[in-house]
Amino acid sequence: MRARGPAVSTAKPVVGIIANPVSARDIRRIVAYAGNMQITDRANIVLRLLAGLGAVGIERVLVMPENSGIRQHVVRGLERSGNLGEARFPKVEYLDMAVTTSTGDSVAAARRMREAGVAAIIVLGGDGTHRAVVSACGDIPIAGVSTGTNNAFPRFQEPTTVGMAVGLAVTDPELGEVAFRGNKLLEVEVAGRREIALVDVAVVAERYIGARALWHTRNFQELFVTFAEAEVIGMSVIAGLLDPVDRATPEGRHVRFDNSDDPACRLRAPIAPGVVETIGIESWGALLPDTPCPVGPEQGSIAFDGERELSFSTGDHPTVTLRTDAFRTIDVSACMHYGARKRLLHGERAEHITPATQPEDSA
Amino acid sequence: MNDVFPLGKEDLLKAYRTMKTIREFEERLHVDFGRGDIPGFVHLYAGEEAAATGIMMHLNDKDRIASTHRGHGHCIAKGVDINAMMGEIYGKSTGACHGKGGSMHIADLSKGMMGANGILGAGSPLACGAALAAQKLGHGGIGMSFTGDGASNQGTFLESLNLAAIWNLPMVFVVENNGYAESTSVDYATAVDSYVDRAAGFGVPGVTVDGTDFFAVHEAAGEVIRRAREGGGPSLLECKMIRFFGHFEGDAQTYRAEGETEDNRSNRDCLKQFRARVTEAGVIDAGALDAIDGEVMAAIDNAVEQAIAAPLPGAADLTTDVYVSY
Repeated sequence: MRARGPAVSTAKPVVGIIANPVSARDIRRIVAYAGNMQITDRANIVLRLLAGLGAVGIERVLVMPENSGIRQHVVRGLERSGNLGEARFPKVEYLDMAVTTSTGDSVAAARRMREAGVAAIIVLGGDGTHRAVVSACGDIPIAGVSTGTNNAFPRFQEPTTVGMAVGLAVTDPELGEVAFRGNKLLEVEVAGRREIALVDVAVVAERYIGARALWHTRNFQELFVTFAEAEVIGMSVIAGLLDPVDRATPEGRHVRFDNSDDPACRLRAPIAPGVVETIGIESWGALLPDTPCPVGPEQGSIAFDGERELSFSTGDHPTVTLRTDAFRTIDVSACMHYGARKRLLHGERAEHITPATQPEDSA
Repeated sequence: MNDVFPLGKEDLLKAYRTMKTIREFEERLHVDFGRGDIPGFVHLYAGEEAAATGIMMHLNDKDRIASTHRGHGHCIAKGVDINAMMGEIYGKSTGACHGKGGSMHIADLSKGMMGANGILGAGSPLACGAALAAQKLGHGGIGMSFTGDGASNQGTFLESLNLAAIWNLPMVFVVENNGYAESTSVDYATAVDSYVDRAAGFGVPGVTVDGTDFFAVHEAAGEVIRRAREGGGPSLLECKMIRFFGHFEGDAQTYRAEGETEDNRSNRDCLKQFRARVTEAGVIDAGALDAIDGEVMAAIDNAVEQAIAAPLPGAADLTTDVYVSY
């Protein structure tokens, strides 16, 4: 497992932020009970991240542009702070790129941030947005704030803290050993096309993409996951309830569904917000790394991290391969605990202060 | 519905026929209007066919829709006769409104088409009225309004969201977001350009789909319409789409990027996407679609010939269809 810090240059580190407004707008608001992360909420998350980054000395941040209202609200906040003479926020620069208001913006922004030499990218979104960023960010570590619908990959963490942790991770060379985590991903090869998924690849019988999200359980055929937790929502929880596997263990899970009236096993799983379905299971097992696994059905569609994206036909022969240590994330909790131990956020005189009461004295 | 496709072969052919009819109807008007054959104004729906078709396949004649100034596609998909439509656009007495309304006022209540509408945003409260009637009469119908991204900034639209929410109306708000309010970009004119966000502000759930993908629209529309019928109240469906022509015929479209329309026609044509999807899946063969193409062209030619040959309204028609008798 790789756990090294970014290639910190002598220049002060720059951090990127990708907040794509297109996430969390899909049909799960109609067929399930998914929530809305409103534009102003997203803008406030960006401001909280900036405040956290600024508090630990990050001076410059690159942000993905969009035209849906996040930028207007953020700029308003920055200008007001400037008018008050505060030094709360770092300098913010928006990337000079075309805005398409699609997931493609996240990919393009990640690519440009990598080219610009950012030390880390903070992502707002769900599994889909994180997947888009990972497809283009290369070796740049990412940190996520969950704002999507089915969030198995990013956890919700207070953005101010995420900003501080990322700032510490990219400025303190000694933090490298604790700050970064290697992550698994799934590679899908189909008819010469390569796609990735961070959490799950689901094979379904439908031969059209439609409204993208998955909720017709009768069409579930096969599931591959990088990690499977029992307390999340979405497709990966199916494996998580059968045979959990954590993010660090170098294997995944492979589940085959049984849509007959008499399946070998029936499982109740929360596949979408407020939707707990009973699903027939044929079998499950370990998915070993670097070993291409052929997809069973000859025709159907493939969903990546919860969204149908491509259909395949007889002769396409899709395969799924688990890769370990494929991209890096920043461990927010580890960074903050390290900061506490090392008193990185204490004032100059803090080292002269000792606790008034030692634990052994109070026993 | 079967396991692998949302519609059977006959319904897929019907969907293609509807989309193709809208496309050729508009392409023909583009030519005929440019030649000066047509009075008044026309706003063409070409490029947006997947939205009207994917939505309207879930509706029946009890369901009432309120359309926009760009209403030809809604009319055709809702089942209005294309001969009556063409007659109306040509201002002839054989028209759907006896030639006195023109393109922006085509209506056919027998089909649940309450009318195209030249007043932006005016359709939403009308459709709420239809939804209220359906709710009170208990006949299972719904109300549906169409607005563009520009008209969705009008007070009438926002007030209608509120009204539909407080009365829990069987109502669907369709926002056809083609990126331009006449010539003004949605990015400039709309503070929060997620219409799902706007609806949520009124307690109305919503979904955004690719409006150029018939199957995406059809699937999402099926769910919002079912929700309305089942007593789940109003919801919003935002279709992100492309218009191939200008806001109106004669629009120089200087607000578009160079090559934008050509790129859209090459890469985001909903009819091409539909054809590719069903033929590659082996559900329909290309020959069947080609045959429909020929039949549609003949039907449009016939509609234009009939419209040209039909008489204009006479002086005596001035005072008819003005007042309603009770």
